[in-house]
Amino acid sequence: MRRPSPEDEIPKDVLAAWVGGSEPAFALIVKATMRRAYAVALGFLGNAEDARDVSQEAYVAAHAARKRFDAERPFFPWFYRILRNRCLNALESRARRPEVSLDVVAERNDPGCGPERSHERRETAALVWKALFAIAPEHREIVVLRTFQELSYREIARTLDIPEGTVMSRLFYARQALRGALEGLPEFDDLKEETP
Amino acid sequence: MTDCPRFEGEGMKYIDGEMSAVERAEFERHCAGCASCRRELDSFTRLDALAGRVKMVDPTDAFWERYWRSVYRRVERKTAWVLMLAGALMIAVYALRQLFESFHRVTFETIAVLLFAAGFVLLLVSLIRERCHQYKNDPYKDVKR
Ligand SMILES: [Zn+2]
Repeated sequence: MRRPSPEDEIPKDVLAAWVGGSEPAFALIVKATMRRAYAVALGFLGNAEDARDVSQEAYVAAHAARKRFDAERPFFPWFYRILRNRCLNALESRARRPEVSLDVVAERNDPGCGPERSHERRETAALVWKALFAIAPEHREIVVLRTFQELSYREIARTLDIPEGTVMSRLFYARQALRGALEGLPEFDDLKEETP
Repeated sequence: MTDCPRFEGEGMKYIDGEMSAVERAEFERHCAGCASCRRELDSFTRLDALAGRVKMVDPTDAFWERYWRSVYRRVERKTAWVLMLAGALMIAVYALRQLFESFHRVTFETIAVLLFAAGFVLLLVSLIRERCHQYKNDPYKDVKR
């Protein structure tokens, strides 16, 4: 998935038009941010169907609440809160057991290794993905923003509306949790040896 | 276990490339003399390398083409529901008024209106309760949006 940067924001006049009720402006906003929204939801929910449904519902909710949006401010951090709440609510209604689908992740292309390793590589992706869903959603969230979306601390701080120092310590606890979850998986020991 | 207090903040910044050259050199100097930080740095670096090998699969172009249309349909449907709800509410008010004017006779209409009103109220209470529950769980409810 392409690295989405919160810096490439939507022009102010488009945002203002949307607040005023313009449907083409709304289309522009959705199309500019839908990949990022879907990736965030996928990070919370773990499968494509839920990620699609919940992120689309978040757009509907944002559209209904557009009068409360300040067009002078960036769209995504504001929308992120709506999306995040929707995701957390969806997780809760599923009794905190996300249905994790393994076909939504793959390993990044590594030209250095042949096809004989492709099966094993898929397994690594599945392993990490499974471990991510064994940790708290708040921990998973920050790992997804940093590692999958490749956001800088500054960008994460803006998105979550927290100080950069908090980003750092949240990342630390989240990664500690992820390490714990991975070590709990039996497949992890074989992997530890081959990881550089 | 992480024993050295410097690792929590600086270790993360180091791994994520959020340090200046000066800061990096300083932290590396610290690590040279701190076994705890060295051990943690090694472990977290391997974890990060492992997690960094994974990416989310981008859905097909067809998926994205449907995406916006689907959002649009959902907005449309929501508007339709609001209109219908407003209409139903008005009918209910009207019917209840008629009902009170002829309350001495129990007719088919009386029963129908009462059933409808009861269902409507129940639905409303249930929706409000769900909303309140969602609000309670909103971690940002105290934050200005
Ligand atoms: Zn140390």
